[in-house]
Amino acid sequence: MSQRGKVVELYKMLLHLGKDYPHGYDYFRKRLHSAFMKNRGETDPEKIEKMISHGQYIIKELEALYMLKKYRTLKRRYYNEDEL
Amino acid sequence: MAGIAKNIRALTRQAVVLRSFALRPATVAVHKCLKSSNSLVASNQFLISNQRLVSPVERCYSSKPPLSLKLITDRVLLVLKLYDKVNPEKLTLESHFINDLGLDSLDHVEVIMAMEDEFGFEIPDMDAEKLLKPKDIVRYVADKEDIYE
Repeated sequence: MSQRGKVVELYKMLLHLGKDYPHGYDYFRKRLHSAFMKNRGETDPEKIEKMISHGQYIIKELEALYMLKKYRTLKRRYYNEDEL
Repeated sequence: MAGIAKNIRALTRQAVVLRSFALRPATVAVHKCLKSSNSLVASNQFLISNQRLVSPVERCYSSKPPLSLKLITDRVLLVLKLYDKVNPEKLTLESHFINDLGLDSLDHVEVIMAMEDEFGFEIPDMDAEKLLKPKDIVRYVADKEDIYE
């Protein structure tokens, strides 16, 4: 797959994950868009590759964020907050 | 005693007749929503369902209203109007996303994703790159759904 294709796929993936972002989808979308636009002029394939792997890292971070959010919500439901 | 029984039987028969009449509009409506049935098959089924006391429940599993070119066009334009970066006044079927509407390639990806959500199928990247005008999207969707003039 071409690097352009990879970047587009990354963007789609991040957008999809951002749908449940705590601050709201619009907030996430704007930030994501500006983050991608910041590097629009990059032509060095190695640097682009590095950025793509950074994007993969962000995906993992988002997944971790959602898991944490879920864990906290469940905990709040089962335990009284004062007890902990 | 026998007379009463006869009367009751006659009454229930009338009730059955009434019921079958009452069901008729419902079955007709159900048949209308079946897209594939041609008139011959439809009339056959109509006869059969009329002879039965209990009409079979005909369900339209995951069926959708038949698309037409106009419907697709309206839906595409509606999705684009609702997208916050598109100016609804400038929007026409012929306007180019990037040159006329001032979107960048990332916005274009978002537009294509919105279309995927709207019409319920995936558009591969290869094809997505070529869909640069609302008209192209309408044609692409129509081709996928086998809709012609």
